[in-house]
Amino acid sequence: MIEHAYLIPLIPLAASALMHFGAKEDPHSPAPWIGVVAMAICLGMSLSILSAVASGSVAVPYEHNWPWFSFAASIGGKSFIYDMPVGVLIDGPAAVLLVVVTLVSLMVQIYSIAYMHDDTRYMRYFGFVSFFTASMLGLVVSSNLLVGFMSWELMGLASYLLIGFWFEKDGPTEAQKKAFMTTKLGDSGLYVALLFLFAKVGSFQLTQIHHFYDKGYMPAAAAAAIAIGLLFGAMGKSAQFPLFIWLPDAMEGPTPGSALIHAATMVAAGIFLVSRTYFCFLAAPQVMHAAAWIGCATAFLAAAMALVSYDIKRVLAFSTVSQLGFMMCALGVGGYTAGLFHLTTHAFFKALLFLGAGSVIHSVHTNDLRLMGGLSKKMIVSFFTILAAIAAISGIPFTSGYYSKDMILANIWHSGDRPLFFIMLFTALMTAFYMSRLFILAFWGEARDHEKHHHAHESPFLMTGPLVLLAFLALTSGFMLDRHGLVYKLLPKPTISVMPGEVAREHAPPATLVSATMPAEGGEHAAAPSEAKAEEHAPAHEAAAEHGEHHEGHLPHALHLALPFLVLGSIGFAFFLYKGPDYAAAESLKATFAPVFTVLDRRWYLDDAFDLLVVFCDKVAALAFWIDANVVDRVFVDGWGLLMRIVSEISNLIDALFVDRTVDGFGGLSLDLGVGLRGLVKDGQVQEYLMYVAIAFSLAATLILTR
Amino acid sequence: MNMLSLVTFAPLAGALIILCIPKEKEKAIQAVAFLFAGISLIASLAMLPGFSRGTHEMQFVERFAWIPSFGVQYFMGVDGLSYPLVLLTTFMSVIALVGSLGIEKRVKEYFFWFLVLEVGMLGVFCALDLILFYVFWELTLVPMYFLIGVWGGPRKEFAAIKFFLYTLTGSVFMLLAILALYFASTGPAHTFDMLELAKMTGGWDRHFQILVFLGLYFGMAIKVPAFPFHTWLPLAHVEAPTAISVILAAVLLKMGVYGLLRISYSLAPLGFQWFLPALIVIAVINIVYGALCAMAQTDMKKMVAYSSVNHMGYCLLGIAGMTTAGFTGAVFQMLTHGIITGALFLLVGVIYDRAHTRDISAFGGLAVKLPVYAALMSLTCFASLGLPGLAGFIGEFLCFLGAFQAWKLAATISVLGIIATAAFFLRMMQKVFLGKFNEKWADLPDMTARELISIVPLAALTVLFGVYPKWPLDLMNVTLTHMLGK
Amino acid sequence: MNAPLTLAHYMTVAGLLFLIGVFGALTRRNIIGILMSIELMFNAANINLAAFDRFLHPEGVTGQALALFVMTVAAAEIVVGLALLLAIYRGTDTVYAEDFNLLRG
Repeated sequence: MIEHAYLIPLIPLAASALMHFGAKEDPHSPAPWIGVVAMAICLGMSLSILSAVASGSVAVPYEHNWPWFSFAASIGGKSFIYDMPVGVLIDGPAAVLLVVVTLVSLMVQIYSIAYMHDDTRYMRYFGFVSFFTASMLGLVVSSNLLVGFMSWELMGLASYLLIGFWFEKDGPTEAQKKAFMTTKLGDSGLYVALLFLFAKVGSFQLTQIHHFYDKGYMPAAAAAAIAIGLLFGAMGKSAQFPLFIWLPDAMEGPTPGSALIHAATMVAAGIFLVSRTYFCFLAAPQVMHAAAWIGCATAFLAAAMALVSYDIKRVLAFSTVSQLGFMMCALGVGGYTAGLFHLTTHAFFKALLFLGAGSVIHSVHTNDLRLMGGLSKKMIVSFFTILAAIAAISGIPFTSGYYSKDMILANIWHSGDRPLFFIMLFTALMTAFYMSRLFILAFWGEARDHEKHHHAHESPFLMTGPLVLLAFLALTSGFMLDRHGLVYKLLPKPTISVMPGEVAREHAPPATLVSATMPAEGGEHAAAPSEAKAEEHAPAHEAAAEHGEHHEGHLPHALHLALPFLVLGSIGFAFFLYKGPDYAAAESLKATFAPVFTVLDRRWYLDDAFDLLVVFCDKVAALAFWIDANVVDRVFVDGWGLLMRIVSEISNLIDALFVDRTVDGFGGLSLDLGVGLRGLVKDGQVQEYLMYVAIAFSLAATLILTR
Repeated sequence: MNMLSLVTFAPLAGALIILCIPKEKEKAIQAVAFLFAGISLIASLAMLPGFSRGTHEMQFVERFAWIPSFGVQYFMGVDGLSYPLVLLTTFMSVIALVGSLGIEKRVKEYFFWFLVLEVGMLGVFCALDLILFYVFWELTLVPMYFLIGVWGGPRKEFAAIKFFLYTLTGSVFMLLAILALYFASTGPAHTFDMLELAKMTGGWDRHFQILVFLGLYFGMAIKVPAFPFHTWLPLAHVEAPTAISVILAAVLLKMGVYGLLRISYSLAPLGFQWFLPALIVIAVINIVYGALCAMAQTDMKKMVAYSSVNHMGYCLLGIAGMTTAGFTGAVFQMLTHGIITGALFLLVGVIYDRAHTRDISAFGGLAVKLPVYAALMSLTCFASLGLPGLAGFIGEFLCFLGAFQAWKLAATISVLGIIATAAFFLRMMQKVFLGKFNEKWADLPDMTARELISIVPLAALTVLFGVYPKWPLDLMNVTLTHMLGK
Repeated sequence: MNAPLTLAHYMTVAGLLFLIGVFGALTRRNIIGILMSIELMFNAANINLAAFDRFLHPEGVTGQALALFVMTVAAAEIVVGLALLLAIYRGTDTVYAEDFNLLRG
């Protein structure tokens, strides 16, 4: 099955094309099932790949490349034809991500069939979702960073289309533009990193780049620059501080689409990119440290914003940002396995939360938590599934989030950075608090808006079915993966054997890898060597995982035992504040700390800063255009013309003073002569003229002959 | 069979035949124009199987003495650098002819000048003798002057004069440089033969080459257009009729970059190298500043015109890298910019024909009313802002890749230009297609068949070259590698 | 009487013919007459051409060929001239040169 992995992104892509061009728009069309079936096939393939990888029946990483196009390149003064391949590279993380993405996308699509059923652009929506998933899958399987980047950007396009799905309204169109521009800002870093990588390595192939790093050929400064660029790209897509501003606005799109963005695609892409290029970060420890702190800032700031929001989707969006901060922080402190583990579990419970929230919104027709309340009685399936998700995200023992978050905290603890650890621990408790708050406000107690409550109803089976399945995974996936260290086996941390600079003194590395990775005679550098390399490296990874990382995945015993109680305390505090119909305790707290609440409500003023940036850019643009029209044009066109005028005036003057006088003299003479002669002749008679001609001619002839 | 002469002069034959057709027979005039532009296109495509991808030598060479006393030859030939551009020219000419069917005023003269213009453009890319090159180069000016000046917008006369005088000024300096090269040539007799001259560059001293380069550069830079000689472009674009804007953006601008590669680089290499630091700065300014200027526009056509300044900046960036990847990127970018910006101008023309305004803020929510138009426009805009999977990305990326090795900082700054490009295209799409529908345009029809015929092939090529850039790249790889290998 | 014809004889005839032509062209009132006089001048030139060719370059035929050309041109010229005259006659009902003064400055 793994040899057909290239089909996994292509099938949804084909489905998307089919739905866009093949069928007419019709709210009751059965065509969305094309996307569902396509995704189900992909899920089946992904599961078989994952089981093969987990059981060890295929060697990972599996790589296969096909030639794509060639262009002439030169590195270090040496010209060669670079054959750009397109290919698949499946390793443990990719296999896991494939299952996560296809599963969540499948659930989202099934759910959407009911959720979107009366939309005027029903088909278009499913086309977008399939396209979105296809681009994410492309990123996951790609063996080539450039192809990965292309999928990455196409994902940006897909998110643009999906967020702005209801483009008749101004909110979505602003949000889609903001999302695209913010992520594009991050992408510019990734772009530069890619350029830098190629300039150094002479290849976009992940395995070759890894090899280059592994041998310590990459200079430390370049390694740092590349890591910064990659990190910047990931910060844009995975909504890290300060580029997370687009994600809360992105909820303007259809809610299932948000589920897709927040769980399986888009935001997962950034984390996945960091993990895919993790060796680049390992070679730049300072950048990793920065990544950890960026993750920490993201997690904390977003969690704080989630504390005060009353919009159910916005709370969820902030929680996504916060959880992404956890993952980034984990990757930053070297907790590769923990970060990806959390990405996996988070995908399940966050998709569940969004779909559950969609179910609630669908039923009560509002996003405002203050208008909900008491929904547990009306929406029993939604109630229990969301309860499962909230337990997972809060880290209630033995749910999935408990395992992954525990592992992240343990990794941070073992990194030795205590301030980082305590901020993240506090943020984890905040997570439990705001999720419980959401839950209490929406489902607990009595209905606050009775009319809305009256209309509330449970959603149809197509919507609740996916909820139940995701709830099952949210509860159990952590346990399943944690058992027997499966997660370490599937998500082994990559290594580099030589740090940058270490090798330099002994034997000088080549300036680039042209000589090392490019066979001088061209061609034949695709699958064979990397597969061979994979086999020799794989056991080493496992050994390292067995001994090295396992203890990093565990907190000290006392902390490990205390953590659940801290979480429960936090939940209890939330109950204390928000119990009762008008949550008086919370309101009084809000009154006491009003300035803090204002800052949080204004989202740390980051959006205002972004708006200012936009205004500033507009001003700069206007200035540039003013310069263009009034300076450049004046100087280089009108100025040139002026110069010519001056030159011509001067020459005209000379002409008039000297040359023309002479000409005038002659001209005047002949004119006078002509006028005088005209008086002699009778006008208009041809023969008379001829006569004069004859006379003149004979005179001239006589003159010449007699000379 | 002299394929290149056939390709180049078939439109001339068409132009002469059009002169003999009475001016009332507009259908016949259009048919003749299509026939001969079509012959040119088919002939250029027919060269494709015979074009060897494995050699850097000139192919399909034709050489006769033209003015023997001065060593001027009729010397034509194509290699991997020029052949893609010949294809682009013949193809875009036919597309622009489809876009010209709406012309109602002085149909005969219009198509006559159009075909003459095509001859000039094709000749520039095929000529290998400097005088021949110069003749074709100037030959493009006159038709362009009339095409803008007669069939243009409200300020057409001013735009035409500005275009004509400005570019002519540049060419005068170019002529001086060409003459300097002629008199510097050694051997049995002076020569204008580009290939022969290229072999003699080793014998010329640096100062001479710098002077020659500057003379040539002045002529080329105005055509490119490189900052600060770009200000004629927005005006000319805004005033020119749609099809002529297409030709202007798709082919005429390419003549400048082509000249830089074919003549400046190979005939004055030391001058070229001396100029590189300035060229990279100009490239960065073109990219960032062009994008910023485009951001400030409210007229869609002017915005696209400034985006051309930005995109040609990528070409300059690639050239300034002095690496094969950069050169490849520059040539590929020329192709894709021709296709994409050609499509953009056609699309802007479509909306202008209907609404008689190009003001971005005059529209709103058109995606509901004109879904096909909105889809094509979005595709083209995304291609133009360099979305991967569409053609614009490959050329742009290769340009950056080539430039980055030599100019890390400049390339990094230029990446900001990509963001600005995205910003103005997204804003345009938002204001025109998205948001609340502006009821004023309730009876706008969607695209007609004729418009689709002219735009869909371009959109298809945009996708094709984005997904599978192998074909055009294979044409140019060997030549460009050889150019830098020297 | 047996003295051979020399170049001078031919030139004399041609010169006389030319002068007759000039005289006619200057004095005839009828334009048709003027045209005929012009023909005379052409023929004077033709005689010269043939004579020069025969006496100066007996090996070549250039002059004779040129004379033939002149005759052709003269024919064409007379056609155009008559056509013009016809057009003028239609407009003014006269063929007399003194009645035309379209050239009056």
